[in-house]
Amino acid sequence: MNPFLGALELIVSGDREVFLIAGTTLHFSFWSTAFSTLPGLALGILLANYRFPGRRAVAAVVSSLTALPTVVIGLFVYSFISRSGPLGSLGWLFAPPGVVLGQTLLALPIVVSLVYTGLSKLDARFTETLVTLGAGRLRRLASTLFEAKYVLASALLNAFGRVTGEVGVSMMLGGNIRWYTRTMTTTIALDTSKGEFERALSLGILLLAIALAINALVHAAVKHEE
Amino acid sequence: MRSEAILSVRDLGFSYGTREILSIPELDVRAGETLALVGPNGSGKTTLLKLLNDLIRPSSGSILFEGRPAAGDPGLRLRSVYVHQSPFLLAGTVYRNVAYGLRVRRVPEPEIRRRVEASLDLLGLAGFKRRDAKRLSGGETQRIALARALALEPELLLLDEPTAQTDRASGERIRTVLADLATRGGTTIVFSSHDAAFAEALADRAAFLEEGRLVRIEPGRRRYAADLPSQAPESPV
Repeated sequence: MNPFLGALELIVSGDREVFLIAGTTLHFSFWSTAFSTLPGLALGILLANYRFPGRRAVAAVVSSLTALPTVVIGLFVYSFISRSGPLGSLGWLFAPPGVVLGQTLLALPIVVSLVYTGLSKLDARFTETLVTLGAGRLRRLASTLFEAKYVLASALLNAFGRVTGEVGVSMMLGGNIRWYTRTMTTTIALDTSKGEFERALSLGILLLAIALAINALVHAAVKHEE
Repeated sequence: MRSEAILSVRDLGFSYGTREILSIPELDVRAGETLALVGPNGSGKTTLLKLLNDLIRPSSGSILFEGRPAAGDPGLRLRSVYVHQSPFLLAGTVYRNVAYGLRVRRVPEPEIRRRVEASLDLLGLAGFKRRDAKRLSGGETQRIALARALALEPELLLLDEPTAQTDRASGERIRTVLADLATRGGTTIVFSSHDAAFAEALADRAAFLEEGRLVRIEPGRRRYAADLPSQAPESPV
């Protein structure tokens, strides 16, 4: 059978393993994005709104971290959660928490950088308007988040998209264990190396659909902001 | 009109780096008066208005609000409001914008509704409550920003070129509202304009600025309300 038709058949027939792998991937991506949201927003807002020595340097470092290879993050986290590492006793290596931790570190600079960039673009009159209307710090913060809600949504969707499509962290920290830590990207890599294209293609199609959906949402958010 | 100063400027200086933007040795804004700041673009009008509202801080000298330092004064913050030349409306509805400052002041919701409706009505914007604030014309934006400021019933109203972005009809409406507010008294108005005739007509006094310096203060005529076309007597010819 044509591998492409075979891949479509796997999707249409609702192949249990294909959809379990897709579900595991989305599960990891959801939690890593969720865990990066609060610190990411806090750091992004801090960088955008408060002047402190070294602020530009911190922003530059964060921006550089968005391009960090996933295997480097995998290696870094591995050194902490491997048996001989300081967090080895937690048993997170080759388990979902290890993957989520690594992906959180991957998502975090993306959220920080995009929130910082988005908030920096807010009109200078915006803050002056809030101040002159009497808003205190907390209300200004809430109003800023409301004003920039599409920027923030775009940052989180970008981070989600990035972790959904990564291989290095999932492979190094999850170990690609069947029914447990196997994700779409690690399965595609494995199946392709074995010459089993049908399932790799089916997951590729699903991954593409997810990427397109995320892109459409990001595009809609950015367009709404404009 | 009360004669005591609500704002006192003393040896005020404002600089960007080494570039001096504003230098005013002394200026008093009397409670209840309408003071026009007149001058060409770049003369320091906007900077002075922002300094008077504590949106920016002086490089040197001081500003006193009712005899106390204006910097960080919560009274100044809650009893005064500044409107930009090109105002910024917050995301959401017109109602949210006009109600914003009242919510900050924890005004009860029925009173907020009353004040929002009254101020929108005053500026000819009665049907605008549910409109998206980001999809309005320049003139509508200017009038909504003024409605947002007037809803607060401020004791001190600071306006930067209040009619600069407006079409003729919106500008006329704003002039009428300001003339009425000035005539009724109770609100100190400081506004900037590059139009000396308009400023002098509306103001009790006009302060002329040139290149960041206060060059003279002249009494205004505040005759504008009486001169409005709709109220002008018919020509006998």
